[in-house]
Amino acid sequence: MSTTKGSQVHAHKADIFCKDETKVDWHSKALWFVREKRDRAAGSIPEWEEIRELGSQVKTHALSHLGHYLEEFEKNCLANGIQVHWARDGEEHNQIAHSILAKHKVKKLVKSKSMLTEECHMNPYLEKRGIEVIDTDLGERIIQLAEQPPSHIVLPAIHMKKEEVGELFAEKIGSEKGASDPTYLTRAARAHLREHFLTADAAMTGVNMAVASTGSIVVCTNEGNADMGVNLPKLQLHSMGIDKIVPNMDGASVLLRMLARNATGQPITTYSSFYRGPQHDGEMHVIIVDRGRTDMLKDKIIGESLKCIRCGGCLNTCPVYRRSGGHSYNYTIPGPIGIAVGAQDDDTNSIPWACTLCGSCTSVCPTKVPLDQIIFRHRRLKAESGQLPYGKSSYMPLVGKFMASETMLNCSMGVARTALRILPGSLMKPFSGAWGKYRELPAGASSSFEAWYKKNRSN
Amino acid sequence: MKIALFIPCLVNQMVPEVAIATLELLEKLGHEVVLPKGQTCCGQPMTNSGCFDEAKKTTLKLLNAFKGVECDAIVCPAASCLVAAKENFHEFDNSIEAQKVIDKLYELTEFLHDVAPIESFTRAFPHKISLQLSCHGIRMLDLASPSEEMGPKYNKMEAILERIKGIEIVYPERKDECCGFGGTFALDEGSVSGKMGKDKAYYHAATGAAYAVGFDPSCLLHLDGTIRKQKLPIETRHIAQIINAAL
Repeated sequence: MSTTKGSQVHAHKADIFCKDETKVDWHSKALWFVREKRDRAAGSIPEWEEIRELGSQVKTHALSHLGHYLEEFEKNCLANGIQVHWARDGEEHNQIAHSILAKHKVKKLVKSKSMLTEECHMNPYLEKRGIEVIDTDLGERIIQLAEQPPSHIVLPAIHMKKEEVGELFAEKIGSEKGASDPTYLTRAARAHLREHFLTADAAMTGVNMAVASTGSIVVCTNEGNADMGVNLPKLQLHSMGIDKIVPNMDGASVLLRMLARNATGQPITTYSSFYRGPQHDGEMHVIIVDRGRTDMLKDKIIGESLKCIRCGGCLNTCPVYRRSGGHSYNYTIPGPIGIAVGAQDDDTNSIPWACTLCGSCTSVCPTKVPLDQIIFRHRRLKAESGQLPYGKSSYMPLVGKFMASETMLNCSMGVARTALRILPGSLMKPFSGAWGKYRELPAGASSSFEAWYKKNRSN
Repeated sequence: MKIALFIPCLVNQMVPEVAIATLELLEKLGHEVVLPKGQTCCGQPMTNSGCFDEAKKTTLKLLNAFKGVECDAIVCPAASCLVAAKENFHEFDNSIEAQKVIDKLYELTEFLHDVAPIESFTRAFPHKISLQLSCHGIRMLDLASPSEEMGPKYNKMEAILERIKGIEIVYPERKDECCGFGGTFALDEGSVSGKMGKDKAYYHAATGAAYAVGFDPSCLLHLDGTIRKQKLPIETRHIAQIINAAL
């Protein structure tokens, strides 16, 4: 493993995050608080588990008839006066977006949250070509000003404390120095963003759902920033992955009942807007992106990750994510769903192992994406293609042989038990590696159970 | 009933007292208990690392140890190993003999709750215990309803233990959050695993319980190491040890 890659592996980045234990505790607690809010919101609906099952079925059905519904969606969009574009990958998506914006001589684009444009690295692409991109979601604007990637898919700046945001705003948008009151900072951001809304030439949003039967798209925000953006300039763009399709409004309603509840514990997002056509004299474009999704569908288990509705519930519950932070995953999307959809692109080959396989993500998921099974599957695929991290490719064959041999296992474990019993801890520590750094060594039993059984039970 | 014990390598080598308690309690309940020879590792450290080829030999050896053993049930006092054994036996051998073994596999708590319930306990256990709800036991073996799910609530460990006189059962904060052991995760991801273990140990200790009690010896071993490192006033016990003490 090269040093560059070594410093990028999840465990290494997690080590750095864990150095400030107070911050880890704060991060873990803040997200667990959201998980608890989610529990209360989900628990308030008696039929929650039935809706989860329904949600899973809606997505499974849509994905297994993907071609049909995408074509229906396109047809209905066209009838509504919406222009539809198809992009094979991120590069094509960015080219399409740029060509639309260039044609209208757009200088400034206001954008509401879209994980897809993050995946495609669209902002730097447009900025290089002279278009200013302003993220208008408060969290997104914070990290854009801080020149950082998001660390969470719903709460992109959750890794930053209000004091850090205060310092950043003082430097970048002229708020009062030393101010960290959230209301004050939010107002400062609001005034700053309002200027951009009023001077933007075009707006772009992500898409939460694309309704095939009506040719409309659904965009959910709490801040109203998507609507403020889309309703001001005459040109609006919406980027969506092919997995966002739902057959009809009933399907969309099922997912809407769960999205905000599972994301933040709210009954519904403050704004859940259905866009089904351009403004008067305006243009509305939808860019439909594949970016590896069709390939994912070829694997039965991994394909299930496309059922995800990006609520972020799996991040909030993940005990590893909460203690390693969103920047430790070597992918734009962190946490369990980030591993599920990003492992194939992970050149450090370490993110599938940033997981204890506890399964909490799978149980919390509103559309029943079997995240732990998907992560388990990625490990197997990585191993089969010789891409194992942490020296596993050299030691695992030895472990396999060792564990299969009773003689070897008994002899060496006998020696280890004796050593643990008679040698002082200080002498054993250097041999115990990561175990001994965080835990005391086991006491060391005097014999194995097998030996005890032979002595006490065999007649 | 005639019971064959499945004692995973970690229990056999590191915590034989858990196996002894399991054997003794099953005998006290009137079962005939045998220990089939030639048991090896279930293959979990390898399959959880993605290394299926490396797991095959030891898994099949373990499976062979149970093939042809005359018994009504195969009982294991380690939830995670049991889940791995079930899955790996299935992965590497799809014969009828293998299926016969798989059908008889039970985790101890599951066996004592679903198959052969304990009629009554004879001795009191006048202590406060904090239950350790390990992940694979609850989310893959249904030993308790996971906190994420909103369906009916149940907990097989509590249902068994609450009938012991004098026992007081409590739960740590974030009651079924993972303890951070995760097999090789504990070594690959030392900082995160260590921090998860530390948090879990503190939550158990904060209940004021004398013992943190669970059904998964690997999680308990990791917790025990963390508790002693942090010098917390609590000890770990396996559910078999509590039941055995109360029979």
